[in-house]
Amino acid sequence: MANVSAFAGVDVGSLGTKTVILVDGEIAGYSILRTGINTEENGLHGLETALENAGLKREDLKYIVATGYGRISAPYADKTVTEITCHAKGAHYLHPQTRTIIDMGGQDCKAIRLDEDGNVTDFAMNDKCAAGTGRFLEVMANVFKVSLDELGPLSLRATEVLPVSSTCTVFAESETVSLLARGERPENIIIGIHHAIANRVGGMFSRVGIESDVFFSGGVAKNIGMRKALEDVLKVKIVEPKKDPQLVGAIGAAVIAQNSWKRGR
Amino acid sequence: MSVSGNVFRYPEEIRDDFLQTADIQFRDGSKASPAEVWHYLTEIGPKKYPHIYDYSNYYGRKISGDVTLPFSLKHNYLIMTMDERMTKAKQNGIPVVFVQGGQSVDPYYAAGAIALRPASVGIWASCQHEGLNLNQEEVRRANQKEKAYRAISFEVCQSAGYENIQEGTVPVDMIAPYSCLRCSDVSYGLEAHRHGKRKDVKLFLADYPLDHQKDKEWAITYFAENIRRLIESIDELTGGKTTAEDLRKEIKLHNEGRRLAMEIADLWWSAEVPPTNGKDRRDLFQMGGMELHGDPEASLSLLREAKGYIAERVKKGQKGFGVSDNPVRIFVCGSCVFPNEYRIEEVGGIVVGNDNHWSDITTIVEEDGDPFYNLAKAVLSYPYEQSIKERAKWTVEQIKRSRADGVLFLYNWGCNTQSAVARALVDEIKRESGVPTLIIEHEQQGTQSEQLQNRVNAFVEMLK
Amino acid sequence: MALKTLEIIKKRLEERPKEIEKARREGQKVVGWQGYNIPEEIIYALGLIPVRIGVGGDDRMVEIGARYISTKNCVFVRETVGLFAENNDPYVQNTDILAFDATCLQTYRTAEIIQYYFNKEVLILGVPRNFYWPEAKVYFTKEVEYFTRRLEKQAGKKLNYQILADTIGLYDRIRNAIVTIYTYQAAAGNYLSWEETYDLIHAGYYLDRREYLSLLEQVLAELREKQGQPFIEAVEGEARIFLSGSVLPPGDKKLIKIIQEVGGRIVGDDLWSGLIPYLDVKIPENSLQGLAVGYLNRTPHGALPYLDLDTDRRIKRLKELIQTFKAQGVIYHTLRYCDPYTFKAKETKDILQKEGIPLLEIHTEYAGSDFEAIRTRVEAFVEMLKNRYDEEVAV
Repeated sequence: MANVSAFAGVDVGSLGTKTVILVDGEIAGYSILRTGINTEENGLHGLETALENAGLKREDLKYIVATGYGRISAPYADKTVTEITCHAKGAHYLHPQTRTIIDMGGQDCKAIRLDEDGNVTDFAMNDKCAAGTGRFLEVMANVFKVSLDELGPLSLRATEVLPVSSTCTVFAESETVSLLARGERPENIIIGIHHAIANRVGGMFSRVGIESDVFFSGGVAKNIGMRKALEDVLKVKIVEPKKDPQLVGAIGAAVIAQNSWKRGR
Repeated sequence: MSVSGNVFRYPEEIRDDFLQTADIQFRDGSKASPAEVWHYLTEIGPKKYPHIYDYSNYYGRKISGDVTLPFSLKHNYLIMTMDERMTKAKQNGIPVVFVQGGQSVDPYYAAGAIALRPASVGIWASCQHEGLNLNQEEVRRANQKEKAYRAISFEVCQSAGYENIQEGTVPVDMIAPYSCLRCSDVSYGLEAHRHGKRKDVKLFLADYPLDHQKDKEWAITYFAENIRRLIESIDELTGGKTTAEDLRKEIKLHNEGRRLAMEIADLWWSAEVPPTNGKDRRDLFQMGGMELHGDPEASLSLLREAKGYIAERVKKGQKGFGVSDNPVRIFVCGSCVFPNEYRIEEVGGIVVGNDNHWSDITTIVEEDGDPFYNLAKAVLSYPYEQSIKERAKWTVEQIKRSRADGVLFLYNWGCNTQSAVARALVDEIKRESGVPTLIIEHEQQGTQSEQLQNRVNAFVEMLK
Repeated sequence: MALKTLEIIKKRLEERPKEIEKARREGQKVVGWQGYNIPEEIIYALGLIPVRIGVGGDDRMVEIGARYISTKNCVFVRETVGLFAENNDPYVQNTDILAFDATCLQTYRTAEIIQYYFNKEVLILGVPRNFYWPEAKVYFTKEVEYFTRRLEKQAGKKLNYQILADTIGLYDRIRNAIVTIYTYQAAAGNYLSWEETYDLIHAGYYLDRREYLSLLEQVLAELREKQGQPFIEAVEGEARIFLSGSVLPPGDKKLIKIIQEVGGRIVGDDLWSGLIPYLDVKIPENSLQGLAVGYLNRTPHGALPYLDLDTDRRIKRLKELIQTFKAQGVIYHTLRYCDPYTFKAKETKDILQKEGIPLLEIHTEYAGSDFEAIRTRVEAFVEMLKNRYDEEVAV
């Protein structure tokens, strides 16, 4: 393949490293790896894997944009951009009617409002509170001795919603343990937890105002229970993602890489 | 359907005795006979509010099983009829004013309004939803609270009815608390309403001056002016003109409630064995604040009747229902939260007193002279609002009078001003009384986990 | 671009603790104060040395403070308690009397805790919450008079009203100088950054106020020479940021550094540890009543509730300052458990949104653990502002 112009977006998050390769505006390859200790190597490894997946070589890459927490240790990148801007571009790429993005990742969750061109107009993020993050759900999965992926489906089997009022990781964990000690059914507690998270992050998101279409991205977006709870609480319909919702940031980074190269900066 | 599978029912055997007891007298001159109360508690209540009849010990507000205390039954009746009674008052043109706990309500009633604190507003809102079981009711409550966190901040320790007022579910006409040192959220929570959608709710702050306030003439004069303006603001709602005489009369009425509560407390504390369980005691003492039922006359008629029953039990050495032999006596200090009394009783303890609320109830207002000045002076003397040493001194007196074996300082998550003095106050109490103490942070939003209960239990075991 | 006078100030600040120690040995007393409504003029006019105490940014000190006050208090008050618990700070060591006002209830509690555990003589100045009432002005005047009587006892002399008049004059000149310097820092081609201006304000917490004024005037002279007439305008590629919200005391540079690192330019603030205490001060007469009224009439502190949004002077001033400094966005800094500002975050965001000014809330403490998380937010905010600006230019 001669004269391929490929662009890469690398999103080094706290739990996962996501890479997307764009050729002629189309996704040519991608990779999702678990983030290890060495941030720079994670990014490079992600790039190699995605290139392999696309059948391309490193020389084909014209421009690389790094995003996510690992962006500050990305000497391989031509530019770094925050994941907020990237998510907006990524969601716009996948679903141009997107006006609000709800992103729930490993240690952050955020709401982003964007205009018709995919520019960020406002955003809000959780603070130290871990409510609504992958990390929080991991802690909860541990309490129930199930895997993270099982939480969502389990919550759908609930017969009633139990009151879990706290979304502070520490308090919610102790509340959960208490409910289990009282002999409550796990699925009813789990749906209570999903409900509480949706309430809390819904509150945070209301600060930017929710406008349709709503796009749900990040690792937690794969959790069907969370998705349903959010729809219930926010009273919105969330659009069906065409791609793995975890890739949105990396897609946006790749789009920015392509645009930057075209504009010559 | 009960969540715990355990539903409370008032036993038929007590019916005849109960029907012999006094009527509840209301402020508007109407009455509720014991027959009406009985019918409500046994026929209407269980259908309307299944969650209230949930008889699990995990439910700190469950109905006291002490069925031979008529005031306890009548109190439950007044709680369950909150929505009906408030709706009726509103229809009669009586404005409802939202206030704070731990403050006196004399001026509001003097001006012809009803004063409700956050817990009462919560009860009013809750009474508008029928047929919910305990879980459903708690989920509803949590969902409502979350709306307030959205509008204000999740660090608001208790949303003070914000959500219910803003949504209009409880149609209060005015929000007008005393600012007090007890809680900084009072002022900011009030201020938050200015950005809410309800523009028809009047906002007013009775500005409570700080630092040796009771000893400063200019502070008393300033707070008297606040009371005057408060009453004028309520007058604007009613179209009436409240006089000094109206206020004096109201103060006398509320003083009677305060005195009765103190007399009952002395009886209760003097008893060899606790004459009631912790829940009944707390409700009873708190009635002296005259705001619990949104009707001071109703509270007063319960207090008058209760005194005789308590005296009789003390004389006979009769123990309250569910209280163990020789229970460990715990005095609770701190924020506007309390532990689950039933679970403390389960492990052989009993709560014998609280400082919150009790501080304003034990402050009698001088009846001769300028009522505005007298009330201001009394309000600025609340022991709970004084310096660490003065507050501790008063608390130690209450600990001694109640013969408490231990002190539990409980502060609410996010309660800035009570948590700030928790250690200092407890250190001073320990120094002055030698009574063992424990500080516990009450979890977010009033939930009580097994972890919290574990600490309380360990404390009770330690004191045994 | 550092000005020469800044070097002198830095040196004078290093020498200051020893100087204060010496003055104390010679019989002068030091009043360490904290709050928003304490009329410092009275302290100075009585020949007492005023030092504004309280620093931030040190998480270790916060932990020490939390042993006495609670973890549900903001880090600023926890660190203040920590300062007294550790007693290593030269200004804390050299404080004879403490003065706190009751503007913020947590500051009031801090005073109580310091008094209880560290045996300090603490004077409290009561502050009315219904500050806009005439009766509140009477109450506050009485409080200021009572405060003065207690200070007189400490100073061992009566307040001389001629000296008070001179002191008010001195303080007016300090306030004017600071306000003028702010115009220079926000201008195009500035020789002084906002951060340097901020440090300059904090220098005034410690230095002798007469010397401080002459240093401020030197700074102004240098600025006039280098920069000429200041002209505030937005330059292409700038992300002009206005800081609002909770206190950012000396030592708390986390957010400031992040903003600069990601390419934002701070151009103004309405912080009570920044510009706002020096704005709109008009002492109507040379008396304690004049001081009391003059202080209450300033832009009120966020801890004093105001119940009508449309006539709120604090919000009106915020909007004006954003315009004056040609800011493009607001970073609203809130400390955890700083309820006066945290509870108003959404409200402020909604109000500014109507004016087309974006607002980013940063809710934080002194621990460095959220450094990266804050950087991401601020960087995205700066990206957003620059993008908006690019579009405006393109159109």
